[in-house]
Amino acid sequence: MNRPVYLDHAATTPVDPRVAKVMAQCLTAEGEFGNPASASHDFGDAARSRVETARAQVASAVGASPDEVIWTSGATEANNLAIFGIAQYYREHGRHLVTARTEHRAVLDPCRELERRGWRVTYLEPDGGGVIHPDQVAAALKADTVLVSIMHVNNEIGVIQDIAAIGAICAKHGGARLHVDAAQSVGKSAVDFAGLGADLMSLSAHKAYGPKGVGALLVSRRRSASGSGAGSGQRERVQLTALQFGGGQEHGLRAGTVATHQVVGMGLAFELARAAPSSEAEHIARLRERLWRGLAALGGTFRNGDAERSVPHVLNVSFEGVEGESLIAAVRGRLAVSTGSACSSALPEPSYVLRALGRDDILSESSLRFGLGRDTCERDIDTAVAVVTEAVSALRRLAGT
Amino acid sequence: MTYSDLTLHYFLGALRARSTESPQLLTGPGVHRGAAGSRKQGIWVQFDVQVVAGMIRAARFLAFGCPHTIAVSAWVVEQAIGQAVRPALPETVARLCERFALPVEKRGRLLTIEEAWTSAVAACGGTPGVADGLPQRPLS
Repeated sequence: MNRPVYLDHAATTPVDPRVAKVMAQCLTAEGEFGNPASASHDFGDAARSRVETARAQVASAVGASPDEVIWTSGATEANNLAIFGIAQYYREHGRHLVTARTEHRAVLDPCRELERRGWRVTYLEPDGGGVIHPDQVAAALKADTVLVSIMHVNNEIGVIQDIAAIGAICAKHGGARLHVDAAQSVGKSAVDFAGLGADLMSLSAHKAYGPKGVGALLVSRRRSASGSGAGSGQRERVQLTALQFGGGQEHGLRAGTVATHQVVGMGLAFELARAAPSSEAEHIARLRERLWRGLAALGGTFRNGDAERSVPHVLNVSFEGVEGESLIAAVRGRLAVSTGSACSSALPEPSYVLRALGRDDILSESSLRFGLGRDTCERDIDTAVAVVTEAVSALRRLAGT
Repeated sequence: MTYSDLTLHYFLGALRARSTESPQLLTGPGVHRGAAGSRKQGIWVQFDVQVVAGMIRAARFLAFGCPHTIAVSAWVVEQAIGQAVRPALPETVARLCERFALPVEKRGRLLTIEEAWTSAVAACGGTPGVADGLPQRPLS
């Protein structure tokens, strides 16, 4: 039986075989299985060496210094550490945060929890293409703003935000630290932590052919001057309050034994992503346009997100005249894609990201996100077009639309 | 979302039947139509029923909805053909929920199907067929 065509690389990617190989070396007795925190024997030294090599690989891939990399269990934990850690540390400076309606729930849910605890949060509305304009951030900043959290690449529509401009605005403010959820970025868009002016950045391994269960929070060691808001003047290095305790690992910010095999996998995955030729992105961009042309021929199709500002790996399309749950059920078995609805219960909820872009509930639900990967080929694209065309056409006939 | 084998059987069967051509709406004497729901609300169902001498000779459906909605509508049509007209679904909503393993949150969708069906068969009560005057595109 043929496996479905996998076009859900924005959800996760398969582990690169080279990554899996180096991970395995850190698990068994013949390899570097030691506790990297053990300083009293060679096993610990060997594991620690692998961990530090991985730290350097990750740092190098995203324009950071190795001592700025804090290992976490993934981007969700990194987002939580950044948001709660900043809010707690700077709570005497201010209790206002700025984020966007289109952020991942790993950012929105911590913000909502902070609201319950007494903080105020401004949620910026994107334009119809999913873009947050830097002047919106500037207008939202208040004297007591302590954090701005804006994602780099949107997970549903692939739109890239102008983080450098937002970073400059936060630096000018002085008191507002900038956190960037870059879980979708590595391997899809150039990431330069220092160049973007971010104070904190969340990373994920499994979106870039690394393993699940590992990520990192980049914590800037830079100092900057100026500013007029909370904590202004000579701006100190960004500080965080830790969320968990019990061993003091990762500069005391993330207690717990570092999972050597996981971080080694992330290190190599990021190194491979950095070394990928530019032709790979160009090839994926051509495939995405081939996919869009094929789907657009159906009529009644709407491309979600500003195509000019998107990573080449993501295409999000709404299909008029079909019901979303039936659409995903109709293609299932032949095509692995994500739907524009959150299926946390039996009754799907329309995508809040697409609704924020102005799509109505029906179009938000009847959308598919296609996530292309480095192994996606023309045949996969043509199969996807054929499968979706057949499903949408049949559902429209069935609905009399 | 996972679906029972029966749900998938009728859902995918309905899709296959529509893979190449539009469903043929019923026309002619003794044809009655009932619809309920709204596409804007995410569920809309329409039944055409042809009744001859108190018996359902033919039935068709159109549906905009989830796989359960489409599957149950297809099953209702299949079961009704050849049966005497009566102002109810071939099975109760509760029994249909069991048959198709419907999540409790979706029970309301069967009420829409029931409303569309009973609306169609209720029109059969001695009124002449109106097929020739029916719009050929469904209303919602």
